[in-house]
Amino acid sequence: MIDLMNINPGLWIILAGLVCALFPKTDATHYIRKFFLIAAPVFAGWLIFQMHSVAPEYIRGVLTFGGIELTTLRIDGLSLVWGYLFCLAGLINGIYGLHEKCRITDSSALIYTGAAVAGVLAGDMITLFIFWELTAISSVFLVWKGGEGAYAAGLRYLAIHVFSGVLLLAGAVMVAQSRGGDFTFDFIGLNTPGGWLMMIAMGIKCGFPLLHNWMQDAYPKASITGTVILASFTTKFAIYALARGFEGVDILIWIGVVMTCFPVFFAVVENDLRRVLAYSLNNQLGFMVAGIGIGGALAMNGVVGQVFVHVIFKGLLFMSIGAVMYRTGTAKASELGGLFRSMPFTAVLCIIGAGSIAAFPLLAAFVTKAMILAAALEEHLWVPFAMMLFASAGVMEHSGIKVPHFTFFAHDSGRRVKEAPWNMLVAMSLAGILCIVLAWPWGGYELLYSMMPFPMEEAYKPYTWDHVVFQLQLLFAAIFAFTLLKRYGVYPAERRAEIIDSDWVYRRMGLNVALWSSAMWDRLNMQVNRLRKRTFGHVGQKLYQMFSPAGAMSEAAPSGLPAVIVAGTLLVTLIVIYVLGT
Amino acid sequence: MSKDSANPDVQKHAADDIHPAAKPFLFLVDEKFKRNFLWLPLVGIVITTILGVMHPLKHPAPWDIIPGSWAVFGFLAYSFIVLMARPLFKLLSRDESYYGEGGLPDPYVSAESHAETNHAKPSKAGDRP
Repeated sequence: MIDLMNINPGLWIILAGLVCALFPKTDATHYIRKFFLIAAPVFAGWLIFQMHSVAPEYIRGVLTFGGIELTTLRIDGLSLVWGYLFCLAGLINGIYGLHEKCRITDSSALIYTGAAVAGVLAGDMITLFIFWELTAISSVFLVWKGGEGAYAAGLRYLAIHVFSGVLLLAGAVMVAQSRGGDFTFDFIGLNTPGGWLMMIAMGIKCGFPLLHNWMQDAYPKASITGTVILASFTTKFAIYALARGFEGVDILIWIGVVMTCFPVFFAVVENDLRRVLAYSLNNQLGFMVAGIGIGGALAMNGVVGQVFVHVIFKGLLFMSIGAVMYRTGTAKASELGGLFRSMPFTAVLCIIGAGSIAAFPLLAAFVTKAMILAAALEEHLWVPFAMMLFASAGVMEHSGIKVPHFTFFAHDSGRRVKEAPWNMLVAMSLAGILCIVLAWPWGGYELLYSMMPFPMEEAYKPYTWDHVVFQLQLLFAAIFAFTLLKRYGVYPAERRAEIIDSDWVYRRMGLNVALWSSAMWDRLNMQVNRLRKRTFGHVGQKLYQMFSPAGAMSEAAPSGLPAVIVAGTLLVTLIVIYVLGT
Repeated sequence: MSKDSANPDVQKHAADDIHPAAKPFLFLVDEKFKRNFLWLPLVGIVITTILGVMHPLKHPAPWDIIPGSWAVFGFLAYSFIVLMARPLFKLLSRDESYYGEGGLPDPYVSAESHAETNHAKPSKAGDRP
């Protein structure tokens, strides 16, 4: 008899994905697949709830494998939030993709969701590694469903993520060795080289500066549903791992604040709105990384809350642009505009997502981002605080204004399309409602607080005069700057172009260096072959001249010559022996 | 008269194709509304600056002694980011086929075979005002 309470709930979602992959591709099985897509995350969420109600720290599935003790299931305060969140995201994504008749998308979405859930509920570093790699392998199909143009991006995505997993495993082994063979996944820190390797592995997955390019490369090229699903799990899984293993590690503050700032400059020049959102995602992850670096109850609860609402509002933004793309075939700002005339409901939901990410009062990030900023202020981290404030103005620019403005307002592109399909509207509405509820001043944000794992002496109060007023100052000023710059023609026009980022190093320079090296290698081989042939030919010719029947050695020689050679050899040998003997 | 309503094609669209739920909000694209919208955030800045003096921050940063410091910061930061766009575009932009991988999906090379591309071709493919 299978004991449900002993099995990691993510495995049931993975199983549902495998079953979907094996179903034949017919209209009837399409509905069964869609049923699994909705039911599996709900079932896993219910299981997590049941397990957590048994004990606040629920540890099961302990087994020994090759002398290593594995804890395949651990539900505590931290993993609980991510577990619920991923199940909720799986449900919303499932509804969003109901219209799509694609077996590969359905099955890989389920396996990917299940791997993410199972990964955050893993209690040891080996189990973590297994699901870390499974998220990469299962999700690459979502990238490849973007079409031929996504093939190379998918390969790069897979290579980078598998490499991240390899680093994670190497680091885990080194950390465990330093702990006497203990693979428990808890605080790691940077005291060992293994700790550094693990942090870099996590940094790849959550987009540390210069390790971030896979995100802006793969996400905009994935299928419409694929991008929404991809944006929910991978990076937040990495944030969970960082929060578990590197709380209060100072270097993360600086990495985080750089992460908040640099994507802002790319987002402002980027034309493809899904890529703008990918940069925006990178920027939001920066707030979380900085919060983990600051550490302490306020910052860590801010990170937990920010992750929770971020999956929802970022998903909402990706969903709304996905709906636009579904109807118009493009996500390029230069080709869009004026779509609120055709898609008013999508426009309203997009604005809710934009307001949430910009941290408008009464919308999601207003509560959670403020906790991270407040923690920086409490620690007198003025420079990181100023950088995060700067990045907040940047968020207002790219996600708060640019995305909704150039899609639904601005210049009328003349496109008249249908409103988004009903299932997309339902999924977006669910996310939109959550954006409002989780920041609602009268009992709403307390729901979020009830899940926060770190006990605070005094709960942070987001709706104070000073917080509301100063946040509105920032946002009003950003809107004023936008209208002013737009009015006087200073705001740049959206233009079609490929904006190069640091991935140019391997996509262009690296490729050219490889091609040049290959050509040089071919030339070198040719020259070596020619030299070899010439040398061997020359030596052969000389040998022939010497030893062939017509060669020099075959000629008649005086009989005394061998005697002279032998005598000479004996003399040389004698001298050598004499010298060595002395 | 708005630029959109001056175009006879768009007038036809306005009559036939606009979603019923969007019709009450067409004033949002009216030129007069867009011109005067500037005042809304400006009034917001003035009000919140006055309120900010009355309710100062509990944990102020050193620069928060200036009234409306976050508004000044927000305005300067936003303007700086936008002003950086032109030089950055010059520096970083390349042709869409630069990497030779087909670029990102769009109406002409869209990978989404099932997407409903019920749209008019844009009047001008390149820049737009």
